[in-house]
Amino acid sequence: MVQDLSDRSQYPARNRDGTLDVDLTSGKYLKLWQGPNHPGITGNMSVELTVCGDEVVEGKTHVGYLHRGFEKLMERRTFIQCFPIVCRICVPEPDFNEYCYAAAVEELAGVEIPEQAKWIRTLILEMGRFNSLMMYLGGQSGSLGLGVIGQWTTYVRDLMLDRFEELTGARIYHMFILPGGVRDTLPEGFDARMEETLREAERTMKDVWNVMFQNAVFRKRTIGVGYINPALFDDYGVTGPTARGGGVAKDVRRDQPYLAYPDLEFEVNVARDSDIYSRADVRRRDALQSIDLIRQILAKMPRTGPVMAKMPNMLHWKIPRGETYIRGECSRGEYGFYVVTDGSGYPRRVNVRGPSYTHAMALLERLIVNCNIADVAALLVSLHTYPPEIER
Amino acid sequence: MQDLQTRLAQHTDLGEWTQQRADLAFVTVAREHLHGLLRHLRDHEGFTHLVLLTAVDWLEDGQFQLTYLMNNRAAARDIGVRVLIPREGADMDSIHDLWPTAATYQRELREMFGIDFPGSPRVDEEFILEGWRDMPPYRRDFDTLKYAQEEFAERPGRVSKDPETHMKQKLYPDGA
Amino acid sequence: MPITTVLSPFRAWKFLFQNPVTVRDPLTERPGAPRYRGFHQNDAEKCVGCGTCETICQNGAIDMIDVGLAPKDGDSGLRPRIDYGRCCWCALCVDVCMTGSLSMSNAYTWTDANADAFRFTPGVDKKPWDNDQLGYRRPEGHALHGKDRVEMAELEPEARIGTFDEIVAGYDVARARLEADRCVECGLCVATCPAHMAIPQYIKAVRDGDYERGLALLYETNPFSQVCGRVCTHKCETACAAGHEGDPIAIRWLKRHITDQVPHKDYVRIVGKPKKAAKGEAKTIAVVGAGPAGLTAAYDLARQGHKVVVYEVRKHPGGMPRYGIPEYRLPYDILDADIDVIRAMGVEIKCETRVGSDITMDELKAKNDAVILAIGLHLGRSTRIPGSDHADVRKAVDLLRQVTDEDPVDVPKSLVVIGGGNVAMDIARTMARLQMKAYGEVAVTVTALEDKAHFLADPDEIRECGEEGIDIVDARGPQEVVIDADGRVEGLRTWRVQSIFDAQGRFAPSYDESDERIHPGDMVIEAIGQAAGVDMLGEGLTEALEWNRGRIQVDADGRTSESWLWAIGDCVKGPDVVHAVADGHRAAKSILAAFEGKGDEA
Repeated sequence: MVQDLSDRSQYPARNRDGTLDVDLTSGKYLKLWQGPNHPGITGNMSVELTVCGDEVVEGKTHVGYLHRGFEKLMERRTFIQCFPIVCRICVPEPDFNEYCYAAAVEELAGVEIPEQAKWIRTLILEMGRFNSLMMYLGGQSGSLGLGVIGQWTTYVRDLMLDRFEELTGARIYHMFILPGGVRDTLPEGFDARMEETLREAERTMKDVWNVMFQNAVFRKRTIGVGYINPALFDDYGVTGPTARGGGVAKDVRRDQPYLAYPDLEFEVNVARDSDIYSRADVRRRDALQSIDLIRQILAKMPRTGPVMAKMPNMLHWKIPRGETYIRGECSRGEYGFYVVTDGSGYPRRVNVRGPSYTHAMALLERLIVNCNIADVAALLVSLHTYPPEIER
Repeated sequence: MQDLQTRLAQHTDLGEWTQQRADLAFVTVAREHLHGLLRHLRDHEGFTHLVLLTAVDWLEDGQFQLTYLMNNRAAARDIGVRVLIPREGADMDSIHDLWPTAATYQRELREMFGIDFPGSPRVDEEFILEGWRDMPPYRRDFDTLKYAQEEFAERPGRVSKDPETHMKQKLYPDGA
Repeated sequence: MPITTVLSPFRAWKFLFQNPVTVRDPLTERPGAPRYRGFHQNDAEKCVGCGTCETICQNGAIDMIDVGLAPKDGDSGLRPRIDYGRCCWCALCVDVCMTGSLSMSNAYTWTDANADAFRFTPGVDKKPWDNDQLGYRRPEGHALHGKDRVEMAELEPEARIGTFDEIVAGYDVARARLEADRCVECGLCVATCPAHMAIPQYIKAVRDGDYERGLALLYETNPFSQVCGRVCTHKCETACAAGHEGDPIAIRWLKRHITDQVPHKDYVRIVGKPKKAAKGEAKTIAVVGAGPAGLTAAYDLARQGHKVVVYEVRKHPGGMPRYGIPEYRLPYDILDADIDVIRAMGVEIKCETRVGSDITMDELKAKNDAVILAIGLHLGRSTRIPGSDHADVRKAVDLLRQVTDEDPVDVPKSLVVIGGGNVAMDIARTMARLQMKAYGEVAVTVTALEDKAHFLADPDEIRECGEEGIDIVDARGPQEVVIDADGRVEGLRTWRVQSIFDAQGRFAPSYDESDERIHPGDMVIEAIGQAAGVDMLGEGLTEALEWNRGRIQVDADGRTSESWLWAIGDCVKGPDVVHAVADGHRAAKSILAAFEGKGDEA
């Protein structure tokens, strides 16, 4: 086990049960709640901070503000009825839920999806990644007071939502990746409009580079701040850009390729310093990579053939007993569905493994010690967490 | 993953081995072998990444299945270790000493399934549910529909008719 | 920190000189994308109220409500009402819709202060987007359930024409499950089935492989399940919701599959023993005619513990299914198996007993608490065209009976059948088989009044006739049986039919006399309909009964104007097995009610 690296010398001693010996009446310590309503928090969660001066002594993540019990709800729904609810587990990047769920039940039922459906799924996942990263860039700069970046990234995200809308019929919850394939083929003229959107996105990304990443304030506040020791990555289940910002080239798309990724060309983005800036920069390059991948997909994908496999009557669909785990690389790291079936028409158990689960709980609580209050928001956002996937 | 199975079988008593995919297998072990096996997988077989830890309720068998899923990135393979424990008074040894992040999973399992992990940090602290007084809600015998019906008011004015019954009432009420 | 990082952010100033990207005109609506999943549209005319949308909706957002439409065959009259407080816009309801009536418009902007306004019935409660052309439509070829019927193995024409072997093989277990899997359990078929069989439930039993449960369900409503599994007119399949955008479920074959899967020796155990009537409560009932109607009533009454005796004039019980339906469609042992179940309930069947001579109606009345008349339609009607009284002009029912009883039949080398219904097809195909056995070739011509588009016979029958080498000539009106100088039948002279009914819809065929043909044949067979032989009633009873256009007048339950007498089946309703079964149930119910209410009736 890695040694505790943070310097705790000037902080309270631990009680025998491991809790901190904090006497709030001493006037030395203060309890401070960041969230659940707070501009420096991502979504519906809160961090209970104990501060000494302007430094954090202890932080505890509180979730549950958005708990809907998806995993349990799915046990009461037939396999097809689970399809509309999974996307709601993660608002900004819902498609991973659809993909992982569909792929898991397909594997357990022995369904092979058509080639064109694989490519359309890949396309959707990259569009979703781009959108999620746009939200992140806006949030990360916003956490440091650069509000205008969020306006620009929201603009291009909105253009991408237009593309989602014409492809899937919805803007946020697309409900397009059905078990067995996808609902439909690409609409007429989609490629041209997508190209327009991608060009606009590239222009915006240049602005983001100039105004955010080349900004002295942003650099001052992020370089060397929020450092995660790469030695901790395995201890805390760190994946995705958070790990890649620390030099570990973890990317499921490359490590265990799925869908059309074996046929796509891309380099795994890595940075060295494992601080907020490195993580932000990896994500910025991931967004540019998504743009490139979308172009590659549209150039390479087949345009004929079915998009749905031949399926049994979905109303009576039963899947033999079994269990499996399906993972993919979402914008924040490893996303996966562990699905257990028992031969009935309902899943026996579904467990959603979102990267936020490890990043925003144990890891954040570890990193937040010794952090300056003013940096808490930037640190939290740099882990790119979406609370619904913690409480599911 | 045959090679791995052979190597593991040399020093651990393995139960059922399920090869789900070329890169994913599940294996059942007795609870007393779990800690040693996980440590071995982590330190000697490259399964350094704890992907997830969760439980499955086999209510009809009176058992919980704990699934520890681990990933070996270099070899691009996963192994899920299953441990079956009795539902009644369920508890399990903590693995937070192997992966600190496991404490979060164990805290959730404590809250959602009522499985205790003695010694796991903050395992008794409320996690997602604050002020929950009912049985652990992810147990199979917790009835979400009943809970919803008791807890929330149905919107008034809703009725639905079954087509078959409706046609019977309208067309052949006496059944002939 | 390089100086560029201080200057670089100032590039944002360029936006000062750019047009904003936001929509400037908030009053102009931005339409949803062509595939947008907005508020629902429902073609209420096309919708059949099957409720499959409600079944699949995981939010419970859909209620099937009575909007005042009268239920009819294949349409429950219910329509889906959607609660937008629950709808998640997933469109599974559109994907699963059996008729394609449900879709979604691309309308998504609508405000209303009243929350209840967001619960409405699309297509019934008019909305501005009802006729919008854009919005989510189920993509072509996309379906959540199987549209194509699982194929049924049958004998090839060459293999079947020389024999009376059963043509249809029946589903094996794997195929039956596939076919049963297509059913969406909406239950629209149940109302259409005259016997109101528990169709969705027994199809579910096929899916589950629980054939004993399936069989028990079948015999609750139909003691002729094996017979109906083969020769039912299966109107249920016409009502089937799956038939709107694909093949209807093969309900009849699935029923047959259940009966095929259970060994005959287990039937009685599964169907269950009859009740024991309380002491002194057991009544005696006489049934005249051992066809489906009479035997169904007997079955129901015997199951309630009453004593039933059935009188049958012919050698064997079974009525038209035995004497009218050829063996290649319904093997005799299948019919026997069904009748064995009925006998096992304690029903006594006295064959070769002619009511009217061996025992009179008066005697039956005197000896029994109730009497059921189920004598069927066994007298063939005649065209009464010139020459139709010739000895080689035969009636289809008589010939079919001869074949069943294995009485010798003089098989002509060629023959002409008059008629376009199923009986015409039956006799044509029966005679074709006999010709094949005797001469090695088929020479049968069927002449029908109707044109091919309005044929009365099942399409399957017509197709199979063609396969078996039978020549069907449509729209021909018989004028005369041509008899040669030696007094032998030479053929049938027909005119082309211009119309069958007059402006008032009465039967009054008109012909094109210039289009005349002679269809050669050594025999002419009339298959234009049957009548009931009511002579056995006796003069007094005939006088006492009320009549309606040549048929005994009965109420909805089959009771005649004489309170002790019920008349059911083909003789009052026209020919159909499953209708006869339904009639039997109704009469039994009515008789039981009469026993309850008024004590001793007769």
